[in-house]
Amino acid sequence: MLDTTYNVETPEGIDLRARAAGPVPRILAFAVDLFYRTLILAGLGIALAFADTAGIGIWLVCSFLLEWFYPVFFEVLRGGQTPGKKAFGLIVVNDNLTPISWGTSIVRNLLRFADFLPFAYATGVIAMTIGRHFQRLGDLAAGTLVVYREEDKAPIALPDSSPVPPPRNLKQQDQRALVSLLERHNDLSEARQQELANLLEPITHKRDGAALGYLRSVGSWLLGGRG
Amino acid sequence: MQVKNLAVQARLRSQWESIDLGTALARKYWLPLFLVWLLPAALLMGALAMLFPGAPGWSMFAVWWLKPVFDRLPLFMISRALFGSPISASAALKQFFTQNRHDWLLWITLRRLSPTRSFDLPVTVLEQSSGKARSTRISMLHRKHSSAATWLTLTGVHLEGFFLVAAFILIYLFIPEQIAANIDWQPIFRGETLGLEWISNVLYLFIMAAVAPFYIVSGFCLYIGRRIELEGWDIEIQFRDLVQRHQREHRPRQRGITGNSAALLLVFTLSFGFLASAPDIKADALETPQQAQQHIDEILAGEDFHRVEEISGWRLKERESREQKIPEWLIEFIEWLLNRSPDDDNASTSSWGPTIARIIEILLWIGVIAGVIYLGWRHHDTILKNLRWQRKPKPKAAVPETLFGLDVRQSSLPDDVCAEVLRLWQTGEQRAGLGLLYRATLSHLIEDFQFHFGDHLTEAECAQLVHRRQSEPAEDLPSVTAPLSQFVQQLTSDWQQLAYAHRSPVDARMRALCQEWQEVFRNDS
Repeated sequence: MLDTTYNVETPEGIDLRARAAGPVPRILAFAVDLFYRTLILAGLGIALAFADTAGIGIWLVCSFLLEWFYPVFFEVLRGGQTPGKKAFGLIVVNDNLTPISWGTSIVRNLLRFADFLPFAYATGVIAMTIGRHFQRLGDLAAGTLVVYREEDKAPIALPDSSPVPPPRNLKQQDQRALVSLLERHNDLSEARQQELANLLEPITHKRDGAALGYLRSVGSWLLGGRG
Repeated sequence: MQVKNLAVQARLRSQWESIDLGTALARKYWLPLFLVWLLPAALLMGALAMLFPGAPGWSMFAVWWLKPVFDRLPLFMISRALFGSPISASAALKQFFTQNRHDWLLWITLRRLSPTRSFDLPVTVLEQSSGKARSTRISMLHRKHSSAATWLTLTGVHLEGFFLVAAFILIYLFIPEQIAANIDWQPIFRGETLGLEWISNVLYLFIMAAVAPFYIVSGFCLYIGRRIELEGWDIEIQFRDLVQRHQREHRPRQRGITGNSAALLLVFTLSFGFLASAPDIKADALETPQQAQQHIDEILAGEDFHRVEEISGWRLKERESREQKIPEWLIEFIEWLLNRSPDDDNASTSSWGPTIARIIEILLWIGVIAGVIYLGWRHHDTILKNLRWQRKPKPKAAVPETLFGLDVRQSSLPDDVCAEVLRLWQTGEQRAGLGLLYRATLSHLIEDFQFHFGDHLTEAECAQLVHRRQSEPAEDLPSVTAPLSQFVQQLTSDWQQLAYAHRSPVDARMRALCQEWQEVFRNDS
């Protein structure tokens, strides 16, 4: 099954799963950062206009620092997110999913130079597209990865249903599907929900409304409700 | 179309994740998709080059404008691949006109500049809907993913442009410097070099064909993601899987009920063995399978299998709350610095400017000195060692009472060690005998020769220490004679042989050791 997830197993045998972020959101996040950087530099240029040559010097130093250390600063001190990445819910992590440090961040950002060649990050985009986990050259060198940050889910209003214990032999995925059916009661049409519930007729021995009601009850049990 | 044959993981995805899935999927089938896009477009381009060799710009524009026509075949191919019945590139190419029959005019006129082209195209190509049905469908789909589809198109447009420039720069980088210096750039920038423009067209055609699969498949995955969300495909697939497993489990059970019942009986007997102490087991209630089943269900529904624990406590949640705002005074100071014009009246500046500079200078010097002192204190051990400044010897370390599990206090020794050793030796307690001799030796070395044997040393290392003192005598410690050192080496090796290898020395050697012991420690005893 093709998917964009990135799995890591810890020595304790715990599976960690992250969703690797591909070129399109990363390019857009970069564009947002570029926009912010340009704004800052423009503002600085106006503020330093009075100081002639010295102003130009300071401006050049600032633009150098911004170009190379703007991402490093945010990635290390702001939890792996530059403002652009934050806008797209992206986060930079080590490839074992730990937060990145100064060293790795500096390596991956210095190597943007290699990714830039021959123009406008063409190499980086190609590397990201070809790479299994959408890593550009800097990411490969530093051993980092850009993934989606897990967002806190807002509580969902659930339909009223008295919890009923589930049938046996439900795998975790089955339970998740049942919960999903309950949680998406507003997004899926009623007819479609009944159609889905009818699929389980050999197990539930119910049809249509009754089957859906039963599955919702099971779902609310799985979510922790008790009669 | 069978949802259960879906070749990608069905799950709820955000719009960006759907695009990423499209990237991954396009990467997997890139070559056939690329060819299927490129060949028709290249044919058209070739025909245009034959007919209008003087209009490269317009030819390019025509090919570019007809993109929706070329997009259909890759879309058709990837949809077949996604639902588990892939077709080859040549088979797809034969379908070029069939696929383009539906709704083609609108796509190359009104909808050509639609920013959500790749997202909308599946509705036409795969659902074959048009008119009012299509517009209601599109508005339904657009409720969520249309912004990502727009951004996808914008990104694609820019990528094509940037890649073209990048390709030219790459070519330029490979031109030797002597030749590059003599290039006359004027006609190139004015667009007067026909050949170069056609080369540019070919390059651009290849770039479009290379980017197109990613664009089309990403849009298609957005469409698929939206349908997974709207129609609950992930739930459907999981439910079908569950039912299939359920049927697999139940069919053999009914057929082989006799075979299973023996095993079932065994399981029950075993479980009763373990659960006999549980008070509420009703053995007589388990007569028929139905009753047993019911009983099992009751137990499974009971509290024991649904224990919920709530653990509450205070944890550090997010560190961001500790973020400090930039203090007001710093902002004001920087603003003051920035707004201060250079030609302020010098009178006020000169009066207190140098004072401030003086204070800052003093502060900096204090900082430097404090830093040096801190570094010196931090690393004083290493520095002293490197400078070979021996510090005063530590107060004499406590004399150990036991070494290697042997009591080495002198008070624990018998008055006449040798006699005791020989007595033990002759009564057959060789281990005790040699042990006592070794113990006595260590004890004398510690107390008379002020050796410090730490707990971490092995027997051999102790012997080495003695040897080292003999070869390089220290000034303030009693010196060790060569016979003593040699004796310690021999005794140690004999003791190791006995203690660890259970090989005892011969009688004569034992006697000789006792003799030597008396000689080397004669002064002390």
